[in-house]
Amino acid sequence: MSTTTIPASRAAGKRTGLSFAGVLRSEWIKFRSLRSTQMLLGFSFLAVVGVGAMAAWLRGTIVDAIMQSGSTVATRPGAIPSGAPKLTIEQAIASANAQGLNIYGTPIAGIQLGVLILGALAVLLISSEFGTGMIRSTMTAVPKRLPAFFAKAIVLVVVSYILTLVAAFITFLISIPIMSHYGITMSLGMDGVLYSIFMGGVYVAGVALAGLSLGTLIRSSAGGIIVLVALFFLLEIGTQLLGLVPGDFWKYVGQYTPSVAGGRMLEIGDKAAFITPFAGGMIFLGWILLLTIPAAISLKTRDV
Amino acid sequence: MIEAVNLAKHYGAKTAVGGVTFTVRPGIVTGFLGPNGAGKSTTMRMIVGLDKPSAGSVTVNGKHYADHHDPLHQVGALLDAKAVHTSRSAYNHLLAMAATHNIPTSRVNEVIDMTGLAAVAKKKAGGFSLGMGQRLGIASALLGDPQTLILDEPVNGLDPEGVLWVRNLAKHLAGQGKTVFLSSHLMSEMAQTADHLIVIGRGKIIADAPIATILAGGQQVKTRIRTSEVTRLSALLAGSGVTIECPENETLEVTGLDSRQIAARALENQVLVYELTPLSNSLEEAYFDLTKDAVEYHSQEFTEDSADASVPAATKGQ
Repeated sequence: MSTTTIPASRAAGKRTGLSFAGVLRSEWIKFRSLRSTQMLLGFSFLAVVGVGAMAAWLRGTIVDAIMQSGSTVATRPGAIPSGAPKLTIEQAIASANAQGLNIYGTPIAGIQLGVLILGALAVLLISSEFGTGMIRSTMTAVPKRLPAFFAKAIVLVVVSYILTLVAAFITFLISIPIMSHYGITMSLGMDGVLYSIFMGGVYVAGVALAGLSLGTLIRSSAGGIIVLVALFFLLEIGTQLLGLVPGDFWKYVGQYTPSVAGGRMLEIGDKAAFITPFAGGMIFLGWILLLTIPAAISLKTRDV
Repeated sequence: MIEAVNLAKHYGAKTAVGGVTFTVRPGIVTGFLGPNGAGKSTTMRMIVGLDKPSAGSVTVNGKHYADHHDPLHQVGALLDAKAVHTSRSAYNHLLAMAATHNIPTSRVNEVIDMTGLAAVAKKKAGGFSLGMGQRLGIASALLGDPQTLILDEPVNGLDPEGVLWVRNLAKHLAGQGKTVFLSSHLMSEMAQTADHLIVIGRGKIIADAPIATILAGGQQVKTRIRTSEVTRLSALLAGSGVTIECPENETLEVTGLDSRQIAARALENQVLVYELTPLSNSLEEAYFDLTKDAVEYHSQEFTEDSADASVPAATKGQ
């Protein structure tokens, strides 16, 4: 390789300093310039839409079964009597919603898989910088450090919110013909549909922030993803198992895990012996802050 | 201008840098020389705030690095050629670095051309050889056209053409009044590039002086004489403070007299001298003299006795 003999270090135009807008643009360039990021975004989009479309079909068949049997599918699986349906479609939908099968939540039914992929992407966004040594370049350019962390957070929140919003809306459009096959009319006017489409992205963005924080605290891709999965998937399963313990205490603990509380945030209406959607949202926010604040402190104070 | 005052870094009980005070002045190339593990890299990381000092402080151009509103225009640092994301192209890496300070894309292309990266700029940095990685690190350091340049082992892995280029770059930038601070454990490299030398060993400053002083500071200057009348000339030169060695046939090495005095005495006594060479102390020798007690990772002598005793201890890389 040849190099120019005289290093032409003429001044680079007018001198500009460090600005948050610049840091944000830098993080966006870093985000979009990795093949792995582009692929993970594509996968999570396909996952949300694909699982959502399957959920639309599944919910259609269940509502159909409820309508035919006049009762829950759970108590009489596969028992579809001949003759006239025992319930109207509206009654069947109400019955399904009451059992926790939120018809209005169909557009975001695939969100759990999307969360898993985007959460992992969020962990990787910073843990890969620690892994490769890139973090030293980042922190040399932004020596106050926190602007880089916040810029990463903003890029993640915006990207995951928009991706989920678009994926949920497309799932909604796909589920209209599937649902109408079973006589269910999905429309944006349906109670909770628009709400779930707009709130799904909030949940995904929250999990992404948790992933970024875990990646910052643990500094390892594998470690960060394992803890993220433990918090957002295994904790819920664990508390469900503990619910089998006699006594009331453990039956309520599960509501306070980040995934259950965050999931409740996406629902409408009250449930017996369950936190309200607003309380769910607050608990979810609490979990995110519990990870984000120590992460910011760690990044600011530890050597890189 | 870099000013370190009682700068120290401890990792638990281990001291990496033990309270060093030094000033790196603008307009000259300052070399930072020391054996592996002496604390060179840790000191440089503290200058740009990647490591927090355990004690003391260090400022660049009058302020702590993090307090500058335009850090990349103040300091360009190559601390670690591997400080890039391996899956990102060199071009995008530089573009992202430049974006933080709103440095225009034209400058990104400029440093790519300057460092000879044009052919590989769109390729993933992870596939780069050591030398190409080094060039990318230097390109990053030059992005902001900084007042102060800090290069840690810049010639590591570079081809001879690249080494020469870095050497000229350092001198050129110092000539423009900029502060140039480069570390190396290669004394020969320093001899050719640096004007001033700071020698560090085991976290302590051993020497801080112009390179000429360090070269002269070691032993006294030796003079090599070739003559056919070795015995007679030896007798003529002998005196207090003069040592005479005879390393080979018809050759004398004399310390304690300079070549002019030797020539005068030979002429008076009509002794034919066919070579008279002042032997300047090499930086290598001066360096070994300075650091012989401060080398942390000695390579084990590979002698007959130790040959069977497992593997010789290798020098620790940084």
